[in-house]
Amino acid sequence: MKKDMWKRFSAWVNGTSEERGPLELPDTAVHHEKKKLFELSDEQKIRLFKAGYLAVAAVVCLAVVSVLLYTVFQLPLFGDPNNPAVNDVVERYVEKGLEETGAVNMVAGMIIDYRSFDNFVESSVLFLAVTSVMMLLLRDKNNISREEDIQEEHERIIEKEASDLILQKVVSMVLPCIMLFGVYVVLNGHISPGGGFSGGAVMGAGLILYASAFGTDKVRELFNMKTFKTVTSTALLCYAASKAYSFYTGANGLHTGIPLGTPGAIFSSGLILVLDICVGMVVACTMYGFYVLFARGEI
Amino acid sequence: MARDIIGSVLILMGVCVMVIAVAGTFRFKYVLNRMHAAALCDTLGLMLVLSGLMVISGFTALSAKFFAIIVFIWLASPVMSHLIARAEVLTHAHLSEECEVIDNDDRI
Repeated sequence: MKKDMWKRFSAWVNGTSEERGPLELPDTAVHHEKKKLFELSDEQKIRLFKAGYLAVAAVVCLAVVSVLLYTVFQLPLFGDPNNPAVNDVVERYVEKGLEETGAVNMVAGMIIDYRSFDNFVESSVLFLAVTSVMMLLLRDKNNISREEDIQEEHERIIEKEASDLILQKVVSMVLPCIMLFGVYVVLNGHISPGGGFSGGAVMGAGLILYASAFGTDKVRELFNMKTFKTVTSTALLCYAASKAYSFYTGANGLHTGIPLGTPGAIFSSGLILVLDICVGMVVACTMYGFYVLFARGEI
Repeated sequence: MARDIIGSVLILMGVCVMVIAVAGTFRFKYVLNRMHAAALCDTLGLMLVLSGLMVISGFTALSAKFFAIIVFIWLASPVMSHLIARAEVLTHAHLSEECEVIDNDDRI
């Protein structure tokens, strides 16, 4: 009784209950006589493919799982005192992190203070990616054809005609909150979870939302190619300069002269706030740049 | 104690709504029908679950955050469903084969 009900329920979910009847396959019996003995019919081929697909999927899954399990068994036991002494760094971060970086959010202190070269190169990767996309997709005078222009104009007309009143109203209500939240996440990177990357992603998503509601022409009024280039390169250069300064002084045993402030305040933890703002700018610009380059071919 | 019970009941109701939405998403075949079921889960189901959590956590800052999430989702999710449906209607060439179309000329 229970199984029957389950079967009927699953048939209902799959849409193959009795009222409709299962899908009937076309009768292939007529064509069977002409074919050779070893040739498979389409149905058999599909069945064979499905079985093979399942088998290959199972083998791949088992292989990956066994490799991962093997790796896990090679790892040293968690919390074992005889572990290799790679934990000095962790201890240093946990014990002296707050004192040395001034960041309550230890992750931000680690990423942006101790390992800020890492973070700098990550931001540069974003910059490089958007530069290469620009090289391929940007519609400048070497990369323009007549058909593309006509298609572009056509798309612009469609975008204007199909603009959606509901979306526009809701976006004009929601967008200020989104941008404000992005700024909040960037500025609180050293106090609470968040930071340049996440806040920048929020702001970039806000820009994309604005562009998809009101059209990219509208965004261009406040964010065009010139601002894009200026903001991205200025932020990266600022990051590089400030971090070069602190590494130079640190390596030579000098004092940076940058006050760390009281932990927990907005203006604290030295350079972390500045670097967070730089990273946030780069990430927001890059996200919006990707969207608009792939959609329109120009910022 | 009573707060916990009320909150759990609300969360269970939300989970029920989500289960119905999932079943509907698999049951229906056409985009617009499936969306009709899927939109339930984002709006009503999430609201019930979050309000259950609000009741459990009481009158705190956490509840205010839950409330902000509810407001945001109730603003964003119906608009999102509307946009998906609109994209389907605008791009489907033979819409009248799938469902009844009242005014075919005024699709935009």
